Amino acid sequence: MKAIILAAGEGARMGPFTVSEPKVMIPVGNRPILEYVVEALVENGIHDLVFVTGYRRERIQSHFEDGRKFHANIEYAVQEKQLGTMHAVWEARGHLQGAFLVVNGSNYVDAQAIADLLNVGTGPALLITESEAQEKYGVVSLSGHYVDKIVEKPRHPEGNLINTGVYAFDASALSLMESLLNEGQYDLPSLVQALAAKNRVRAVRTKGTWLDALYPWDLLKLNSHVLGGIADVQSGTIEKDVTLRGKVAIGEGSRIRSGTYILGPAVIGRGCEIGPNIVIYPSTSIGDNVKVQAFTAIENSILMNDVLVGPHSTIAHSVVGSGVRVASNLMASADRANAHVEGEWHVVDPIGGLVGEDTEIRDGVVIEPGSLVGARCRIGALSRVRGNVPNGTTVM
Amino acid sequence: MCGIVGYAGYREALPILIDSLKRLEYRGYDSAGVAVVEDSVKIVKDKGYIANLESQLPQLRGVVGLAHTRWATHGAPSKDNAHPFYDCREKIALAHNGIIENYAELRDELKAHGHTFRSQTDTEVLVHLVEQSYAGNLEDAIRKALARCTGTYAIAVVHADEPDKLVAARNFSPLIVGLGAEENYVASDVPALLKYTDKVLYVMDREIVVLRPKSVQILDFEGRPVAREPQRITWSLEDAERGGFDHFMLKEIFEQPQAIHNTLLGRMTEVDTNGFFQDVTSVKLVACGTSYHASLVGKYVLEEVAKVPTTVELASEYRYAPTPTEQPLVILLSQSGETADTLGAAREAKRRGCKTLGITNGVGSSLTRETERTMYTRAGLEIGVAATKTFTAQLVALYLVAIRMGLDRGALSPEDANRLRDELRALPRHVQTVLNQADPIADLARAYAGARDMFFIGRGINYPVAMEGALKMKEISYIHAEAYAGGELKHGPLALLTPDTPVVAVTVRDRNYEKMMGNVGEVNARGSPVIAVGTEGGRDLPRFVEHVVYVPKVRDLLYPVPVSVVFQLLAYYAARKRGCPIDKPRNLAKTVTVE
Repeated sequence: MKAIILAAGEGARMGPFTVSEPKVMIPVGNRPILEYVVEALVENGIHDLVFVTGYRRERIQSHFEDGRKFHANIEYAVQEKQLGTMHAVWEARGHLQGAFLVVNGSNYVDAQAIADLLNVGTGPALLITESEAQEKYGVVSLSGHYVDKIVEKPRHPEGNLINTGVYAFDASALSLMESLLNEGQYDLPSLVQALAAKNRVRAVRTKGTWLDALYPWDLLKLNSHVLGGIADVQSGTIEKDVTLRGKVAIGEGSRIRSGTYILGPAVIGRGCEIGPNIVIYPSTSIGDNVKVQAFTAIENSILMNDVLVGPHSTIAHSVVGSGVRVASNLMASADRANAHVEGEWHVVDPIGGLVGEDTEIRDGVVIEPGSLVGARCRIGALSRVRGNVPNGTTVM
Repeated sequence: MCGIVGYAGYREALPILIDSLKRLEYRGYDSAGVAVVEDSVKIVKDKGYIANLESQLPQLRGVVGLAHTRWATHGAPSKDNAHPFYDCREKIALAHNGIIENYAELRDELKAHGHTFRSQTDTEVLVHLVEQSYAGNLEDAIRKALARCTGTYAIAVVHADEPDKLVAARNFSPLIVGLGAEENYVASDVPALLKYTDKVLYVMDREIVVLRPKSVQILDFEGRPVAREPQRITWSLEDAERGGFDHFMLKEIFEQPQAIHNTLLGRMTEVDTNGFFQDVTSVKLVACGTSYHASLVGKYVLEEVAKVPTTVELASEYRYAPTPTEQPLVILLSQSGETADTLGAAREAKRRGCKTLGITNGVGSSLTRETERTMYTRAGLEIGVAATKTFTAQLVALYLVAIRMGLDRGALSPEDANRLRDELRALPRHVQTVLNQADPIADLARAYAGARDMFFIGRGINYPVAMEGALKMKEISYIHAEAYAGGELKHGPLALLTPDTPVVAVTVRDRNYEKMMGNVGEVNARGSPVIAVGTEGGRDLPRFVEHVVYVPKVRDLLYPVPVSVVFQLLAYYAARKRGCPIDKPRNLAKTVTVE
């Protein structure tokens, strides 16, 4: 059986974290979200994968290549315009024979969830889960074990079962898809509705894990989840008087300098220089080629690749994009705060700073909790950043 | 999911089987095994990756055999449960992909007949069933055996008494036959065979296929022959390996952030040279082609960072030049490490009593044996003939060498070294920023792809970058391209400029910016369109030139990296517009092993 993985979207709600890469490539636990999805499928014996790519597709191709490194056989289809999920599957139709799965590449899903879907046998099926944020998803009502209807983003949701975007279809779905596309319907829920009207679509409640990341702070939740599963493996050079507690993974060629204290779970990538005298608290991911200088404390945060953090900085519950450079004394501490994304306010507790890729932060900057700093900004010394700063802004 | 391959031909089967099997490793990887027919049937198998199996293979000369890579369904991953399996008398070997649903009852029945089982797999019942049914003809025995089984399978079987025959069968699990000249193959999937043949037969469900070196016969489960037309596979192994990119060159251009990461990896704190550079008083960089251009950039880097007088020579010239008395450190650069002229130059340098350092991407290549020390660029395999990621990785290696040499010679303070290293760390990001502009760069390249001639100009450290830009343009798009130092235009080349000759100018904000703008003015006066590469944030360029591509602001010394990525993209998209065979330009080979 083949699986189609939807990976074409930009992920606008992820703000400055998708300037260089599509949402599926955002790292949590130092691996792109999409890698966990591939792993869940491969563990279930599904090795033939079709990635539907679009926005910044080269990033996906460079990472996954032909899939051999991931024990998969990956083919690529392109969705030039991101019209909808069914349209995406349609763009991959040339790669399909027989029954197939459809999985969203930007949602974390584990092998158990995929297994639950596979175990119900043949015929169309949909993976559902409970959620308290129903208004952001398609809410599924059931009749018995089968889908009755899906209501997209309802104001007054009936029940708390939502569509995870993980589907199983058989070959006959393709012809129905064609007629729906001709009617101007582009999303998979409309296909499920149409199938449910003709036949029956099994709704599968999973015991496994399915996690969505809609907003940048959701990445922290995902990050702490996946860090639960890391291996306690240390490469590189660990100088004396370094304390490691709990599960800590350290990549090849990294150097952890004296006096550094790391509380796992934490993962540090390849070619990093950490320390001396750094404290890293649990649920922190530090990417490749990152340098963190003396007397800095980092807690429950993601630092992506190529980040440089100067001395005496505090970074808590924060997401720091690739290539961010901090001179020294950055304060990004966490509190309950309002964050503003794509025209909506969200209360997040706790949250630190969200800093987009390649932004340069000079000495002594304070980023107030919940602030979203765009990509390629320049934040002058002693600035206090409150609220959102658009991409490319210079703050003096 | 498992993978099967089989071979019946005139060559030794073992290397072909192992090579094909590796192409199927994606289908399963917990154990692997191989069976080859000699006087008897020999089986070698173990748990783990195919590489593990490969490391313990004896010499087997047989020309018929089969191999299997497994993903455990019934029975744990172990040597005992690895395929292929013997029958009781070790005359038959069988490998299987799929599941035999009624294996438990068959197993009990076979045990009652006195068969001994050595594994926990469902597969083993098949081989004993075949043994039970065998009466001198393998395909008949298989047909009878399969009639007893329910489930899904693709199998491959050999028998010691019929040493020129390989029999395979299919029900639901994939199986294809590859047709060669006096040799034939079976495999679970096309990639396993692409290296050997593009002519295949698709085996359908409930069919048996009998392969001999000179014949292939398909039978149905009733033993009746089936006619099937061979088909030609139009995609190549390369299509699969390009992983979604249209050309290897484009794939490799986009791999550069990772290639730079890997080249920097673990060396930011130290290039392990143990004082190798301490007594160096002068350096000579020796290379060919693109590596020569990297060397020309290296001259500026070494002189500025390590404060060491540096000269650059083409390897083919150095070898035959007169021997001076001076003994510089000779640094030899070669992507492959197999370039004949560069190897010759390394031997010549040694003969002259010089210390030698090799910089290469070819792990274990000849250059590593011809030089005292080696520094690897870890760019990964480069397949496109036009060097891209190995060029930028060579530049990064040269920066690292210069820092180490500067420190060893006391010419660079530790603080300055740290600052430069922090800036090197940012290079992958700067390259990514250029890659993010691939679409507008492609538009520009397409607009000028019709040009007959093109000029590249730059000054200082960006002059060799212009030379590399011109080389890329020439070698893959076949546009005649020349590079000039900005100040040289007025000494001749201006005569060649017309409104139809685009000029690509490196006008980044470095110490030569004002001078370069003067040269751009000279070009403008001849009406030639200018494509300028400028520094992000600069506002005045669009007032003077038609087109600007911006690169991030870096220190003067580091501009060659992002600027050369712009040139790679320009050349690639121009060549594509012109319909050139980008990965294999005419008359060129990836590694030049002739002098």
